[in-house]
Amino acid sequence: MTAPALASGTRSPGTRRWVAYGVLAVAILAFAAWAWSRVHGLSEDTQATNPIIRWEWLFTRERTPDELWTRTKQHLELTVVPVVLGTAIAAVLSAIALRFRWTVGPITTFAGFLYTIPSLALFGVLVTYNSNWTAAVIALTSYTLLILVRNMVAGIDGVPQAAIDAADGLGMGRVQRFFKVELPLALPVILTGIRVATVTTIGLVGISAVIQLGGVAYFIFDGYRREFTTEVVVGSGLAVLLAVGLDLLLRLVERLATPWSRRAGLR
Amino acid sequence: MSALLLAAEPTNFWEWLHESSTRTITGPIPHNLWLTLWHALAAGAIAVVLTVPVAVFLAHHRKAELAASWIVNLGRIIPTVTILAFAVVISLRNGLGFAPYPILFALTLLAIPPIFANTYTAVRQASPDAVSSARAMGLTERQIMTGVELPLALPLILTGVRTALTQLVATEALGALFGGGGLGIYVRFGFAGDDIYQIQAGALLVAAAAMGTDLVLAVVARLVVPKGVRARPGRRRAATVTVRAPDVASAAGAG
Repeated sequence: MTAPALASGTRSPGTRRWVAYGVLAVAILAFAAWAWSRVHGLSEDTQATNPIIRWEWLFTRERTPDELWTRTKQHLELTVVPVVLGTAIAAVLSAIALRFRWTVGPITTFAGFLYTIPSLALFGVLVTYNSNWTAAVIALTSYTLLILVRNMVAGIDGVPQAAIDAADGLGMGRVQRFFKVELPLALPVILTGIRVATVTTIGLVGISAVIQLGGVAYFIFDGYRREFTTEVVVGSGLAVLLAVGLDLLLRLVERLATPWSRRAGLR
Repeated sequence: MSALLLAAEPTNFWEWLHESSTRTITGPIPHNLWLTLWHALAAGAIAVVLTVPVAVFLAHHRKAELAASWIVNLGRIIPTVTILAFAVVISLRNGLGFAPYPILFALTLLAIPPIFANTYTAVRQASPDAVSSARAMGLTERQIMTGVELPLALPLILTGVRTALTQLVATEALGALFGGGGLGIYVRFGFAGDDIYQIQAGALLVAAAAMGTDLVLAVVARLVVPKGVRARPGRRRAATVTVRAPDVASAAGAG
C-alpha cells in the first residue's frame, strides 16, 4: 500500500513533500496574482473610473446593513426550512426502505431523479402553480432527499452485525435496539448527510433569485444587472461565508454528538 | 409589435412550442440547444483532459488523500452562481465579452470536482491483487496506471463524467441569466415578460436536455466499458463508496 519502490526518486520522502508543497504554493500564488490583475482590468483607467469594490457602499451607505441582514436571514430560512423538511421526509422514506428492502432501489432512483432536474427548470415550473416562497421550499427540499436518504440507509446498514447480535443477546426489543444501538452507531453517517445537504442547499438557494428570492445571491444578480461589481463581490463573499460557517458548525455538532467516533477502531 | 404578439398569443406551453414567431428575439430552439450542448461538452472535455491524468497519478501513488475530499467540499461550498458571476465580470472587464469564454471557464471549474473525486476513488479502489500481480509480472508503474488501474476504474470514472455533464447542461442554462445564450434564455425572457408558458416550456426544455444527456451517457458508458470490469450494480459501490466515504463520492446534480 505504500508508494511503489520503482517510482521513488533519490531524494528522501520528507524533502519531496516540501518540494511538492513549495510547487503548490507557488502555483497558487501565481494564479492568485494573475486572477487579481484580471479582476482589476487591464488599464489603470478602468480601476479609477470603475473600481472593483466601492467601500463606501459597504460601510457608509445607510441602507446597506439592513439589506445585508434581510437577505442573510432569508438565505438561512431558505436553507434551514428545506433541510428540516427534507430530513423528516427522508426519515420516513428510509424507514420504508429499511423495513421493506425491495423499495430501496425505487426510492433512491426517485430521489436521484429529483436531484437531476435542473434547479432553474424546477423553480420555473413550480412558480407557475405556487407562491414564490412555496415553490422555492418545495424545490430545495426535493434536492436534499437523495443525499439524506442515501446516508440514512447507508448509516443503518453500516451498523456492525456484532452490535445488533449483542443488543439481541441483552434482550432488547426492536424499538429499544433501534434507539439505543443502531441509531447512535449510524449517527455519524446521518449527520454527514445532513451537513452535505445543508451546504448544497446554501448554494442552490442562490438560484431562487430568478423568483425574487435568492438570499444573499440577490446581490450577485442585482450587482450584475446594474454593472456594480461591489454587490457581486459582497454577495459571493457572503454566500461562501455562510456555507463555510454552517459546514464548520455542523462538523462541530457531529463531533459533539458522537464523541465515541473519535476513538480509534469504532466507526 | 402588439399586433404581431396578438396574432400568435399562445394559451399553453404546447402552443408556445409550436409557435416559432414567439422566438424572434430569443432565437430558435435548435440553435439554443446546440449552444447549450456545445458549451457543456467542450467544458466537460477540457475538465476530463485536465483532471483524469492528475487524479489517476495521485491515486496510484496514494498522494493527496485529503485533497480528494476537499476538492469536492470546495466545489460544494462555492455556489455555482458565484463562479458564473465572477467569470462573466472578469471577462467583461477584460473585453472578452459574454460568451463563450466566461461560460466555458465557469463550467470547466464546475466539472472538475465530480470527475476528480470519482476518478480518485475508483483508482484507489482498483483491486490491489490485480495491481500487485501486474507489478510482479514486471509492468512499469506507468503501464500499471494505464493498463490495469485505468480500465478497472473506467466504470466509476464514466459515472463521474456523466454526473458532471448532466450538471453542466443544467448549469449552462443558468448562464442565460448572465447574458449568455442557451436554453435558459427562454426561462429568463419568460420571467422578464411574465410569460408563464414561455417559462414552463423553457424549464421543460432545460430538464429534457439535462436528462437526455444523462440517458445518452448512461448508454455510452455501457457500450464503452468492457464486460469484465462492469460494476455489478449495488454491490461494490453501495458497500465501499457510500458507506465508507459518503463525503467523497456523492453524485453531483442539481445545477
